[in-house]
Amino acid sequence: MLRIFWLAIAIVGGLWGQKVDPAFFETKIRPVLASQCYACHSAKMKAPMGGLVLDTKSGLEAGGANGPVVVAGKPGESRLLTALRFSDPHLQMPPSGKLADAVAADFETWIAAGAVDPRTAPAGGETSKALKGMSLDEGRKWWAFQPIAKAAPPPVRDEKWARGKIDEFVLAKLEAAGFPPSGQADRRTLVRRAYLDLVGFKPTFEEVEAFADDASQEAWPKLIDKLQALPQYGERWGRNWMDVARYGEDNSTAEATNQPYPYAWRYRDWIIEAMNRDVPFDRFVKLQLAADLMPDAARADLRALGYLGAAPIYHKDQRLSADVIGGFLADDWDERIDAVTRGLLGMTVACARCHDHKFDPISTKDYYGLAGIFASTARIERPLFEVEPAVEARYMWVQRRLIDLRYSANLLTNEASTVVDSDKRVEKWKAEIETLKAEMLGLRAKYPKLVDSVERYWAPPAPRPAAGEPAGQRRRPVLVSTEPFTNAVYDAAQYVDGSDAHYTFLVYKPGEARDVPVFRNGNVATPGEIVPRHFLSVLSQGENRFGKGSGRLELAEKIFTDAAPLAARVIVNRVWGWHFGRPLAPTASDFGVQGEAPTHPELLTYLAADFVEQGWSLKWLTREIMTSAAYQQANRPRPEMMKADPTNTLVWRMAPRRMDIESYRDTLLRVTGRLDHTMYGPSQDVEAAENVRRTVYGRVSRSRLSPLLKHYDFPDPMQSSGGRDLTTTSLQQLFVLNSQFFQDSAAVISKTVQDVPTESRRMRELYRRLLSRDPSAAELDLALSFLSKGTLEQYAQVLLSTNEEILWP
Amino acid sequence: MALARRELIQAAFGLLGNLGISSAMGHYTGQRTPGKAKRVISLFLAGGPSQVDLFDPKPMLVKYQGQRPGGVDLRTERQTGGLMPSAFAFSKRGRNGIEVSDILPKLGGVIDELSVIRSMYSFNPTHTPASSLYHTGTILANRPSIGSWISYGLGAENQNLPSFVALNSSGPAARSAFLPAEHQGMPLNGADVEPEKMIPNLRNKKLDASAQRRQLDAVQALNQRFGDAFGADEYLSGRIQSMEAAYRMQFEATDAFDVRKETAGTRALYGETPFGNGCLLARRLVERGVRFVNVGSGDWDDHKEIEAAYKKKIPAMDQAASALIVDLKRRGMLDDTIVVWGGEFGRTPVSESGTGRDHNPYGFTMWVAGGGFRGGMAHGATDEFGFKAVENRVSIHDLHATMLYALGLDHTQLTYRYAGRDFRLTDVFGNVVKGILA
Repeated sequence: MLRIFWLAIAIVGGLWGQKVDPAFFETKIRPVLASQCYACHSAKMKAPMGGLVLDTKSGLEAGGANGPVVVAGKPGESRLLTALRFSDPHLQMPPSGKLADAVAADFETWIAAGAVDPRTAPAGGETSKALKGMSLDEGRKWWAFQPIAKAAPPPVRDEKWARGKIDEFVLAKLEAAGFPPSGQADRRTLVRRAYLDLVGFKPTFEEVEAFADDASQEAWPKLIDKLQALPQYGERWGRNWMDVARYGEDNSTAEATNQPYPYAWRYRDWIIEAMNRDVPFDRFVKLQLAADLMPDAARADLRALGYLGAAPIYHKDQRLSADVIGGFLADDWDERIDAVTRGLLGMTVACARCHDHKFDPISTKDYYGLAGIFASTARIERPLFEVEPAVEARYMWVQRRLIDLRYSANLLTNEASTVVDSDKRVEKWKAEIETLKAEMLGLRAKYPKLVDSVERYWAPPAPRPAAGEPAGQRRRPVLVSTEPFTNAVYDAAQYVDGSDAHYTFLVYKPGEARDVPVFRNGNVATPGEIVPRHFLSVLSQGENRFGKGSGRLELAEKIFTDAAPLAARVIVNRVWGWHFGRPLAPTASDFGVQGEAPTHPELLTYLAADFVEQGWSLKWLTREIMTSAAYQQANRPRPEMMKADPTNTLVWRMAPRRMDIESYRDTLLRVTGRLDHTMYGPSQDVEAAENVRRTVYGRVSRSRLSPLLKHYDFPDPMQSSGGRDLTTTSLQQLFVLNSQFFQDSAAVISKTVQDVPTESRRMRELYRRLLSRDPSAAELDLALSFLSKGTLEQYAQVLLSTNEEILWP
Repeated sequence: MALARRELIQAAFGLLGNLGISSAMGHYTGQRTPGKAKRVISLFLAGGPSQVDLFDPKPMLVKYQGQRPGGVDLRTERQTGGLMPSAFAFSKRGRNGIEVSDILPKLGGVIDELSVIRSMYSFNPTHTPASSLYHTGTILANRPSIGSWISYGLGAENQNLPSFVALNSSGPAARSAFLPAEHQGMPLNGADVEPEKMIPNLRNKKLDASAQRRQLDAVQALNQRFGDAFGADEYLSGRIQSMEAAYRMQFEATDAFDVRKETAGTRALYGETPFGNGCLLARRLVERGVRFVNVGSGDWDDHKEIEAAYKKKIPAMDQAASALIVDLKRRGMLDDTIVVWGGEFGRTPVSESGTGRDHNPYGFTMWVAGGGFRGGMAHGATDEFGFKAVENRVSIHDLHATMLYALGLDHTQLTYRYAGRDFRLTDVFGNVVKGILA
């Protein structure tokens, strides 16, 4: 970022010729004042240091408590310069240390030339103006925002290769570069590819052979249909989406105000179900943003709100000041803005939190227009059973209030004398808890589960552990629950109540919405003008102001109407990447100026248009891609192509790559016959020896992500992922060489085949089970010679450890 | 980014970039600073050690004992009382007579190697965000730690060991966030000294070395055949090599992570305490080419009874930290190894509950030694009571910038493109504190 700043100076620096030119102030003086002085000498402060204000022209002219600091034309009388030079021991600035002599020399030049100060803007307008992103008009012409239409692909010379439109686009590019595509992969490779891609594990020997034996034209589309109809399809494709949705089950820490999400797994289950039902992508996303506001959404669809309700949040120690708490709250909103805009729109809107976007046509106003939506959306645990709307609304407010009161009362009771008059506060809060308790108990007859769910907030705290008993039991957070609730959100405006100088509360106003101010330089302590809730201006068409509740549903609708071309391009590009290992536009979450342009923009546009026409069906899109000749290409390196296009930007082959950790672990479990196919439900530690369920049901912790997942490039669940890096490290191989998982797998499979008569038939069976093929004669020789000194179990681990086993074909 | 770099390497050398060794190369492409340091040991005292009891003498605390003169009403996490003088006397130590608490006799003895920064300041009075800021430069929990940045920037010196090890550290200390997984801190539990117990999957529990070698030979034979039939592939050959590296790591790490292999004299020098073992382990690791070792230390969050607590736990810390300096120096490693000591914030000069001290991000002390830092000096100052840094203030970003500078890296040029922008350890902040460099 600083690089940008200097660049800006360099550009402007070339413009000034004479020293009295205002540009001298802008390039030499203002940056120093802004970076070195404003922190203590600002008009935004109630009491600037020494009464001196330097971020306004009038402040600079007025000087401080000890008189003027700059006398135009007279450097010798300007105390500002004296301070900068550090020559007077009692007048030295800035306090962080003497600046370079050249800086003082610039100030001297500037003062001598009349101390020209061209500033007119009021304080706070100090965001860098030197480098600006595109204007709105320019922005509206940006390629990614253009309408989508099915423009015909360019003509191709080879008329036999292409099976559909995708192939014509791909081939046209290849032909223009003077290269032919690769031929079709053999059937045994194809069937492996299809299984991995659609259900996330490799096929068995029998499954491979069944496909290899079916020579009919229809075998391939039939295979796709069959696999898409399996429930494991949703597990595979749900996990793809979970990368984008930064799915996690807790927060980076687990203090009182950011406890784990005990129902996050319900959100995961909802994603899997929705993928299996092929819920149209636009509706799929709308439900995640606003299921509670959609009249046609089922009660069970509230689980989709985990997208917002189980999002990362930060602990808010309520003893801290309103500004600090306000900052944390703004960080929470920022997280939502980043996830939504990068994840759904490929736009890096979070860059516009402190200043207008440096490259893309996004202003801070647009940023805070979105922030208001999330400032009007509160996370809450909602019942999955039907509750009268008014009762539910009240229940949700009470739940949050009880959590805060209970936390506060505990905090000031257990931590002696942390706040002035804490006893009186605690008494008051306890009284309020009693009132709310009485109110909630009144619901018991009709809604017993509702009452149960909040009982813990008024029950007396469990006694401290007696001597000798293990500590920590008492405070262990509830990691997971199967009660009929879900981590969701509802419309409620959030405010920071700073009226008590010693204790800060968050206030929730259900049913109300809130527009938030622009926080200048991202600082909540310097609010600017209030911005109505609205959509990104550059993408918006017509009326652009959200007025229904928080505006979440309106946001979701805008994404799929005004911004539909962009939203479609972004998801189509991601899906392409999940199939090919490399999206058409390599920076899948950044379609802005700083992102990398797509290799095949026309193809991306065509496919996006077709996808929308097909009702945003992901199953259709996947099928369309997989039935292309481009997808069915062989994966072998061709020397001339490895030289010309080693990263396969032309899609001249299917790029071989490492399997992701989910496919790898699931395949190893399945081939050794250990996989438990049970779907859904609470997560388990993915590294627990007894856990043999699919990896998608492994716990995803934001505070303690499983090292196994982390070592294999599982994305950080703190932020929406733009695609996984696939690295190769020694720590990955230690897992292969030495882990109990591998040893258990080898032990189980060798027992399974131990009763097969003769060594060579046992070995053939092992090959069939683990690699879904027969060994060659040479491979059999190698294996048998190994058995002269080693065991079948050891050789099972050999086969499991091979490159062949982990390679995406 | 990584991919583009590999392409460059391929173009330059006319061969396939090898994933197995890609981590050997640093990714820093900016201008080198004059800094010559090669590695870092970070001693992190979680909870926040008290500057006025250790490195920042404040006689005025005695004069105003129990009072709250103007300037000490800064808001901290909890309610605080009047000024509380240190229970410990200070003495001038070393060639420049730097004042150090008498409870730190051994660190006082190596004061000529330490650059004591008395004017550190931070922005948040709560452990989690402050600790995140300390390690990653931001309170947000989604940015890489300094160790990951340095691993990314400089690469690994030793292919058979991870480049970044985080001992007794949680959360932000080991976080690689969006940097590639190989740059995350390898987490270690220092409660044990047996490497097999510290590192999961380090050794094969079923096979001895020769049986395992035989097994691996069989794997590699099949991999070779598979690769030959498939054709040249970066990943396939990279994984073959990384299997070999992992195999070697088993033995090298078993040796590197085992402090019991040190002489009795050396172990006694550090003291066979958890922190002593941690410091000794850190030295063994950097000696073998690990870039960054973070050694976390217990509980320094003394809200009450600070005097008694310090009398109990300071001697072990004093011994271990000073032993590290002495040991690195006698091995000729101090010149290119940075040792940094501190907590996420300091503690208040005013008392909490009469006998303790509250969190204090306004001003605190850290020290840096070796690796091109000057030593024998105190930089900056807090106010007369030791509450707030007022002179030559140094932020965490400044310190990070200075450490990178000492490692030859310009903190404005060590960047990683993610989510549409170039991220830096120091974000848009940080000034190199030249005054503490030699």
